[in-house]
Amino acid sequence: MKDNGYILEARELTKSFGLTPALRGASLEIRQGEILAIMGPSGSGKSTLLHCLAGIFKPDSGEVWYDGQRLDQLDETKRTELRRTAFGFVFQFGQLVPELSAADNVALPLLLNRVGRKEAYEKAVSWLKRLGLDGLEARRTGELSGGEAQRVALARALVTHPRVLFADEPTGSLDSLSGEKVMDLLVDGAREEGTTVVLVTHDPRVAAYADREVMVRDGKTSTQPKTEVAQ
Amino acid sequence: MVRLGWYLALRSGREALTRFILTTLAVAIGVAMLLVVLSDFHAFQTTVSRPWWEGTQGTPVSQMPGPSNAELWNYSEDFFKGQTIERLDVAALGPDAPVMPGIPQLPGPGQYYASPALAALLSTVPSDELGARFPGSQVGIIGNQALSGPDELAIIIGYTPQQLAALPGTVQVDTINTSPESYGTTNIYRFAFAIGAIVILFPILILIGTASRLAATRREERYAALRLVGATPGQVNIIASVDTVASALLGAMLGIGIFALVQPAVADVAITGARFFPKDVTPTLWGYIAVFIGVPVAAAGASVLSLQRVRISPLGVSRKVTPPAPKMSSIIPLLIGIPLFIVAILFTKSNNSGFVALVALLGFVLAMIGLIVGGPWLTMQLGRLLVRFTGGASSLLAARRLTDNPQAAFRAISGLVLAVLLGTGAAVFVPSLVSAQQTPNNALSNVLRDQFAGGPSAAVGLNPQTGAQLINQLQAYPGVTVLPIYHNPAEAPTQQVPQQVIPGGPPASLTSVVSCESLAQFPVLGQCPPGAQAVIVDTMILLTIDDPLWINKELPIVTQDSPSYSGNVSDLYLGGVLVRADNPDTLEKVRTLLTTYGALSGSHLAPETFGEIGQIRATAYLEAERIAFFVVALTLVVAGCSLAVTVVGSLVERKRPFTLLRLSGTPTSALNKVVLLESVLPLVAAALVAAGMGYALTAVAIKALSASSGFSVPVAAPGLAYYLTMVGGLAISLIVIILTLPLLGSTTKPENARFE
Repeated sequence: MKDNGYILEARELTKSFGLTPALRGASLEIRQGEILAIMGPSGSGKSTLLHCLAGIFKPDSGEVWYDGQRLDQLDETKRTELRRTAFGFVFQFGQLVPELSAADNVALPLLLNRVGRKEAYEKAVSWLKRLGLDGLEARRTGELSGGEAQRVALARALVTHPRVLFADEPTGSLDSLSGEKVMDLLVDGAREEGTTVVLVTHDPRVAAYADREVMVRDGKTSTQPKTEVAQ
Repeated sequence: MVRLGWYLALRSGREALTRFILTTLAVAIGVAMLLVVLSDFHAFQTTVSRPWWEGTQGTPVSQMPGPSNAELWNYSEDFFKGQTIERLDVAALGPDAPVMPGIPQLPGPGQYYASPALAALLSTVPSDELGARFPGSQVGIIGNQALSGPDELAIIIGYTPQQLAALPGTVQVDTINTSPESYGTTNIYRFAFAIGAIVILFPILILIGTASRLAATRREERYAALRLVGATPGQVNIIASVDTVASALLGAMLGIGIFALVQPAVADVAITGARFFPKDVTPTLWGYIAVFIGVPVAAAGASVLSLQRVRISPLGVSRKVTPPAPKMSSIIPLLIGIPLFIVAILFTKSNNSGFVALVALLGFVLAMIGLIVGGPWLTMQLGRLLVRFTGGASSLLAARRLTDNPQAAFRAISGLVLAVLLGTGAAVFVPSLVSAQQTPNNALSNVLRDQFAGGPSAAVGLNPQTGAQLINQLQAYPGVTVLPIYHNPAEAPTQQVPQQVIPGGPPASLTSVVSCESLAQFPVLGQCPPGAQAVIVDTMILLTIDDPLWINKELPIVTQDSPSYSGNVSDLYLGGVLVRADNPDTLEKVRTLLTTYGALSGSHLAPETFGEIGQIRATAYLEAERIAFFVVALTLVVAGCSLAVTVVGSLVERKRPFTLLRLSGTPTSALNKVVLLESVLPLVAAALVAAGMGYALTAVAIKALSASSGFSVPVAAPGLAYYLTMVGGLAISLIVIILTLPLLGSTTKPENARFE
């Protein structure tokens, strides 16, 4: 594929689980630094699309391109390495390791990338501070509120300076106030770092943070007019 | 409710079914091991509880002919190439003479019954090495009722009453002993075996308990959902118990099946050094019933107990109590016990009182308890050290898990700590004692000793003519060296040659004469003073004591201060001989010859080498060591299984964060490393700490006891068997843990990231 300015591109993706089709020819493109919201009702296939874009699933057919290379043709080891080095992830809940402190959790991906211990913790503490979690470094998951835990997860996702951040219902388990705070921090952090964001949500208020929206219905994508943030 | 519980156990999706299968398998392994322990314990109990006919007591032979319901009885022990032969010479005094178990009737004159193992030997070994010792011909085989195992060598030889009455040591018997063997050592072994069984049972029960509570958190979430739809706490308890009891019951049945498959192999293992009869290597019916009922009941108890620790509300599961971090005070018993033991042991050098021994025992027990009670705290410290000195993500995850719940990590290996500590103690103590059973440089290992004094026909030995004849015959064998030990008949009235030697008792003395020329062939016995032709020595301990510790303490028996004997030794009675024969076949020929002269002299003590004397004691010690190693090996494997079950449980509980970590690019190898570190680290650390403590405490004890008794007992390093047991046990445990790793790969597949 030529360099067409897209960092991530999906072409005519299909994916089924047993006899149940999840994607039926989904396509989309994302530019570097863009924040894209994938919206759709429950069971529409939006999370499956995100997993295909992130190299977690291999589509049954179609192509996924990342930065000029066919992601769907890479083997599991290379896709794993890519997810570790170039992608970041934020999920709805339960992504933090319960035995680890907030600082440990954020430092974890750096340690996995063989960054030195001291440097890893300095960066972790710096990100926690940046996301308003100053003083909570030693707290464990069970000692954090839902919003705080999501901000720790966000810090963990951003600490490796990923080129693409995948967020699957990042505010799904939070109250609206905490959700807004997390989204503000996510968008601000991504903008500052120049990180591309693929945001899966069914919440129009969350989608409003995106530059562009794609609607998934019955496994197919369609463009969606930009939702305005309600004042 | 029970039906619902059963339905939920089996029909709640793949995860529940996998958990059910894993629990069943773990319980099955635990039950199979439990049955192995019970079967060996039963075989041991059956063996030592059999009617001990060898222990029959008699009265001095009365006027001949005696009563028709009695017999003459002469029991002795013989040896063949290091193996003990139980020999009974017997003569019926009438038709109603009692018959020992295992034979249909007493052998007549010129007949004998042999045990299967001895009969096999007699048919293959040349007669002048073994068969010539036993007059007559074989008329039958001694049955299992009279034997302690299939490898036992025993023979019952028939005589006329006149022939047997002439043999020294013959007594008259009208009742054959039917009570079990009552040696002090047997009771010690029985006690040791029981302790060993308990030491093994403990970790096996932990394994079964851990398996029963496999992935409790995940189950508890399901119970919360049940509470949401209206189930009462009691109904939740029933459902939880059904789930557990079903898998435990199935596991118990499967375990019995596994045991049935391995039972022949278990029967073939000589745990105590000699094999048991295969029919005895089985649990009792009550053992089976106890396992079949007890294991599911215990599993249900463990399940209900685990539910007591959480509060299951319709809105979810919460821990009632967060397990508190272990406190440093938990190692106080350890900190008191070790110095108490060492100080008490060192104090025995100057004070050998029972009180000091009691304090030492108290210190040892405190140290053992301290190791168990303080184990979680030590595990937590291990985790902290790991965090401090390693920088990788895997070690961080593993270390935090260890510090977060050290009780859980240590629970699986707590049984191992005791077993390894005691096993290492045995591994140091036994070789030390065994090495002390050998004469310096093994100089007398192949030397037979025989004494001809003590019987009514020859109070001080063989007369000079017969003695000379024996010496000539002995010297005619190639490669044989002889040291004749002479007694002076003039001293006969003052000599008290003991018939029974009491080890540890005050030694009597027996004045003998040896020629310096013959003595020179046995340098370990000492050197004559310059110019002496013969010396007067005390051979009491050398010829009669059956404890090498005493013999070694006595060497050399000849010193520069030994008085010279100026008379002609050939005029003296032959009181005994030492005969070195390096060829094993020649040695047996010499022994067979000496046996015939023993009958002439009046002594009924069998000729034996000093190596055999040490070997008899060493065998007893080695039996205890083998049991200890068996316990250690089994507990290592059980600990490995417990850890594997704990690992599986922890994987199921951490499925979500681990899956998301993998999804975020964490390689499976990094998570594998986490699991290995979490399980192997405490296993190896606990084994090393327990082994180190076992070695140190035993070495201190041996040194102190050796110094206080005056015996030379060097602290020996554990033998190869110990290292093989430790390394083999740890390797098997490691393999069991590694076998769980594919589960990690499959349960945390990024594709499974949808959890609801």
